[in-house]
Amino acid sequence: MSAHTVDSSSLTETDVRLSATTSKGMGIAAAAGVVGLIAAFALGGAQGDKWKSFLLAYHTAYIYFISLSLGALFFVIIQHLVKAGWSVVVRRLAEIIAANIPLMALLFLPTAIFAFQAPYDLFIWLDLEKQKTDHLIHAKHAYLNQGFFIVRLLIYFGAWSALSWFFLSTSLKQDQSGDPKLTLLMKNVSAPAILVFGLTITFFAFDMLMSLNPHWFSTIFGVCFFAGSAMGFFALLALFARRVQKGGQLKNVVTPEHYHDIGKLLFAFVFFWGYVNFSQFMLIWYANIPEETIYYQHRAVGGWFAIGMLLLFGHFLIPFVGLLSRYAKRIPQILCFWGVWLLIAHYFDILYLVKPNFEMNGERYVSLGLLDIACLLGIGGLYVANLLRMAAKHPLVPVKDPRLDESLAFHNI
Amino acid sequence: MSTATATTSPESLPDNTNDDPNRRPALVLGGLDATAVTEEVCRVNEYKTPMGWYIGFGISVSILGMLGLMIAYLFYNGVGVWGLNSPVGWAWDITNFVFWVGIGHAGTLISAILFLFRQNWRTSINRFAEAMTIFAVICAALFPGIHVGRWWLAPLWMAPYPNQMAIWPQFRSPLLWDVFAVSTYATVSLLFWYMGMIPDLATLRDRAKARWQQVLYGALSLGWRGSGRQWSVYEKAYLLLAGLATPLVVSVHSVVSFDFATSVVPGWHTTIFPPYFVAGAIFSGFAMVVSLMVPAREWFGLKHLITMRHLENMNKVILATGCMVGYAYSIEFFIAWYGGNPYERFAFINRAFGPYWWAYWTMVSCNVLTPQLFWFKKIRTSIPAMFIISIFVNIGMWFERFVIIVTSLSRDFVPSSWGYFSPTFVDICIFIGSFGLFMTLFLLFCRFLPIIAMSEVKNVLHHDAPRGGKGHGHDEHGGHEKKDDQSQSPNTVSTAHA
Amino acid sequence: MHDAVMTNHTAAKAPTLYGVVAEYDTEQKLLEASRQVRDAGYTRWDTHTPYPVHGLDEAMGNPQPVLPFVVFGAGLTGTLVALGLQTFTNAIDYQFVVSGKPLVSLPANIPIVFELTVLFSALTAFGGMLAFNGLPMLYHPLFNLPRFARATADRFFIAIEAADPKYDVKNTRKLLSATNPSALEDCYDPQDGKIPFAFYVPGVIAACFALIPPAIVYKMRNTRSPDPKIHLVLDMDFQNKYKAQSSSAFFADGKTSRPQVGGTVARGQLHDANEHLHTGKIDGKWATTFPFEVTEERMKRGQERFGIYCAACHGYSGKGDGMVARRADQLMADKKESDWVAPTNLNNESVAKQTHGELYNTATHGIRNMAGYASQISDEDRWNIILYVRALQRSNNAREKDVPPEELAKLTAQEFTITNGPGLHQRPEATPAAAPAK
Repeated sequence: MSAHTVDSSSLTETDVRLSATTSKGMGIAAAAGVVGLIAAFALGGAQGDKWKSFLLAYHTAYIYFISLSLGALFFVIIQHLVKAGWSVVVRRLAEIIAANIPLMALLFLPTAIFAFQAPYDLFIWLDLEKQKTDHLIHAKHAYLNQGFFIVRLLIYFGAWSALSWFFLSTSLKQDQSGDPKLTLLMKNVSAPAILVFGLTITFFAFDMLMSLNPHWFSTIFGVCFFAGSAMGFFALLALFARRVQKGGQLKNVVTPEHYHDIGKLLFAFVFFWGYVNFSQFMLIWYANIPEETIYYQHRAVGGWFAIGMLLLFGHFLIPFVGLLSRYAKRIPQILCFWGVWLLIAHYFDILYLVKPNFEMNGERYVSLGLLDIACLLGIGGLYVANLLRMAAKHPLVPVKDPRLDESLAFHNI
Repeated sequence: MSTATATTSPESLPDNTNDDPNRRPALVLGGLDATAVTEEVCRVNEYKTPMGWYIGFGISVSILGMLGLMIAYLFYNGVGVWGLNSPVGWAWDITNFVFWVGIGHAGTLISAILFLFRQNWRTSINRFAEAMTIFAVICAALFPGIHVGRWWLAPLWMAPYPNQMAIWPQFRSPLLWDVFAVSTYATVSLLFWYMGMIPDLATLRDRAKARWQQVLYGALSLGWRGSGRQWSVYEKAYLLLAGLATPLVVSVHSVVSFDFATSVVPGWHTTIFPPYFVAGAIFSGFAMVVSLMVPAREWFGLKHLITMRHLENMNKVILATGCMVGYAYSIEFFIAWYGGNPYERFAFINRAFGPYWWAYWTMVSCNVLTPQLFWFKKIRTSIPAMFIISIFVNIGMWFERFVIIVTSLSRDFVPSSWGYFSPTFVDICIFIGSFGLFMTLFLLFCRFLPIIAMSEVKNVLHHDAPRGGKGHGHDEHGGHEKKDDQSQSPNTVSTAHA
Repeated sequence: MHDAVMTNHTAAKAPTLYGVVAEYDTEQKLLEASRQVRDAGYTRWDTHTPYPVHGLDEAMGNPQPVLPFVVFGAGLTGTLVALGLQTFTNAIDYQFVVSGKPLVSLPANIPIVFELTVLFSALTAFGGMLAFNGLPMLYHPLFNLPRFARATADRFFIAIEAADPKYDVKNTRKLLSATNPSALEDCYDPQDGKIPFAFYVPGVIAACFALIPPAIVYKMRNTRSPDPKIHLVLDMDFQNKYKAQSSSAFFADGKTSRPQVGGTVARGQLHDANEHLHTGKIDGKWATTFPFEVTEERMKRGQERFGIYCAACHGYSGKGDGMVARRADQLMADKKESDWVAPTNLNNESVAKQTHGELYNTATHGIRNMAGYASQISDEDRWNIILYVRALQRSNNAREKDVPPEELAKLTAQEFTITNGPGLHQRPEATPAAAPAK
């Protein structure tokens, strides 16, 4: 008989434990990560621009990967908050992705080391001279200064690490005891957690991305970053689940019904990303005030204009139409195709947020090359390796979650 | 005959707000079956009209009459009878418009968005809420219509038809986007509401004794007979409309926010307006639903269907959206400081400490502080508390629009142009009158149309069973012989949530 | 009976058998029975339930609705209509620029594009649902069964039509009774479905009334009326304001237009004592110098202003061959006499020998058919224009020695055909310039 509904009591170890072959991938990823980082440092140093291009490439790749974990954290919190039933089978995967944040905190060190010293190429407002002479930077120096910035970084990484650790460890505890009170505990924590998340991700976006041009501002900026992060996460989740299934795990556990819901959420966040970015663009375009339009003027010519168009079509219009149909979301191969597509698009989104703020040799900086690939490989390799490491250590679904049966039996509309 | 009628006294209604992760709580209390549900809901339309309804209707119609008189007075004398001046060219008129449009959003959210999220608890309240949307949009549309100086020309500049003056509408204006957005919203809401009612109107038709009822419900139900093939297409259309209404409701209040955000006025021109307005709209809409629902379930005896769980869920949404509104206030304030623009910084200081400080602090206490009480379950599940809080939220949201519009206009760039606005009796009476319009329509709805979506409630009666893969309708008896990737999904909502 | 309106019982045909109807009290029984009916190969049959039963589509073998594709097409249409509408009205048919935004302002067009996409999709979803479901269909034979009323309340039905090819009076009933229904009966269609006269009368009346508005419109557009226009809004049409040339009962002289108040100077009218600058005279004599230092900037400014105000008649070279003059010549071409006086060739000696002040005076007050430009061009700019006119005169009467050597070398290296005929219909050189008007 073909696929039958699985009962939680019928799940076996092979169903839920990462196979050895997939674990082997961990070693490859880790090696790639180290190689990538070394190459990045080498290429960066060889540029001779006091590490400016390195910083920009590294920062882009860094924000890219941490945004995926932030999307995951959001998902985990929300699923507990609304007492969702469908998502239990994929929640452990999301918890693992979210638990990569401590690693990302560590990987911020290269940025910190190079950005916190002259010539302050990345965070130009760190320059004490500019804080005195540039009147706009001066106006916000109570916020944009090194000390407060470090405090905020500690708050962001601290809060996120604590939350991701809490949800993963409580969920793991429940794997042993099956105690429904733990579900209630996680639900109760999720409500204040979402408030903390909302504020921290907003100010993180302000600090890491918006302040790259300290003369510019936009109130919806935090929401734009959040939209892209959530979308990137759903793309990653689909790919992660499929990868695990290809290795032989979770065969009848994650079904087309679940992929359908992941696809719906992916579609929803593609749309939401388009909506918030359009809001920002159209309002700035319409009022045409130079202190605001400078952001888009930097992105209106040459290479950046092309990438902007790429985002409009590749990040929004085409995936919107592609993910509209039921079948695109229910057939894992098609969903994963869009997953890969959107993960690439998300990288270009981050690129578009970071690099156009800068000039190199008197011209708007537009560059995408080996250095960026090295940084992506470096950070990404370590990121994926850590994911697989954690996945290998624990069951891939919360085996004693009270709502697991509901999730296994789930049928979509 | 019904097996369980609503004889269980309210005090002994079981508490379905429990949070046991092992089972989903019942959404319909008292063990009602389809027969009983039909009885409970149709009773409202079929029994002799209670005196209370007549009294309420009398009051509403009187207030509506006052509205009519005031509008006639306004049209005859011109917009000068309002307190508008230079610089405050928009005040109560647009505040009321945004207020009413915002309230309408809850209905669509309950109908469409909660449907897409498979939240079955929506089935007891969606008809009610959708009706509220329609009537709120009608009240909203009133204000742009009457606030133009030359109201007889309004159709000319709104609609793109060839006219004698050889003019076309100015499509680059957010005011015109508003026309399209609100009209589309009114149309789609009406379609969604009506389509949902067709099966229930058929129920009323089939039970109707009086000739006029047979004719009315017969005509309105279009001959619906519950055919399986018809249900199949119907469900698909319902899903499509829900999928369309969801981005629509987001777009409508975003377009309303564009009226302000596209300008250069400090305090108006800020990119977060669209999602902030949408969150605020849902916030005020849900508050209005709670305000209406608390008395309605009491007076119409619907406590088995509109249970404490429904109310508690709505209060949670109010808390969540209230936090989003609070978030938006904070970010606006922060960025006003961060941006360093002196006009923007002043706009926010002026809101809190300028001549309208009283409006600002009303807004903050009603919108940000009061909903925080909903963190406490005791308050979330207390009828008097939630009723009072919902009223406060609506007051707060009216003040939010007032603060945004009037404080920014009364003091913008050039101090020599500053001016204070005070409403006239016409402003106030027209606003009160709009409530008369709303309540009149709403009472008519309660009297003549099915106020709960019976067919949808019956649909979820069977899905309250505890989780565990058993007792699950579609799992039994080999309900799914083929389960491949292309499986046609069944035509109903499958799991009960929340 | 569930016919919404009772028919008058005209001679009815004999009732025909519509089909057999089984009633069930649980959805499980219905599902089971549906599978049996489906598997038995019936095609003309249906179920009737108070709500959409989960799993019923499969049990009946219902196809997936086509509606989503239709709706998608409608949405796409909406998108294109919105784009087309906005582009056509604001960028093609009646172009006007608002706030400096481009004629096709795509960001500004998106909201309406989105709304119309949704509107078209939603209308199609609803209309398509009605169309695919054959609604409204106020009468159906099943409504003749009293028990069928519970199909919309709490009972589940299967109806197999007699018209189905597999229908057999005995076997179909056997099949259904084996599924354990709570009731099993035949359904007859009284066949008296004549449309009552009552429907025709209002229809005809309505149709007649519907003709009236187009008829009125037709009449209005094709006839003239001696009656004055109907004024619905009096205070727009008859405004309490005075118009410039009208008479006034208030003022003694009966005029609405009032002269400047004595002893006052309007803004922009107060001139300093610089006689040279404002009148072109120095101590009552025509000025032969400019009232300011001559600079390249002023020359450029003069060129720009000349091109705006003067070139239309006098031409860009000052020869009097501007567009206005050429058009006038076209119009006058076949007329023997005309009172068209061509614009002066500014390079003529009669003009060239005038002083700067006199030229300034002409520009200020006009001469012959030319109006004065004092109200349009500021005093300074008029002087700048005269400066440029002098440059034009010099360039049009240049000699070899006036040409810079490099330019001269370039010119002599090439071949030119120089046509330097007089401007069209020029006044003859000999006539001395009339005294400038004052």
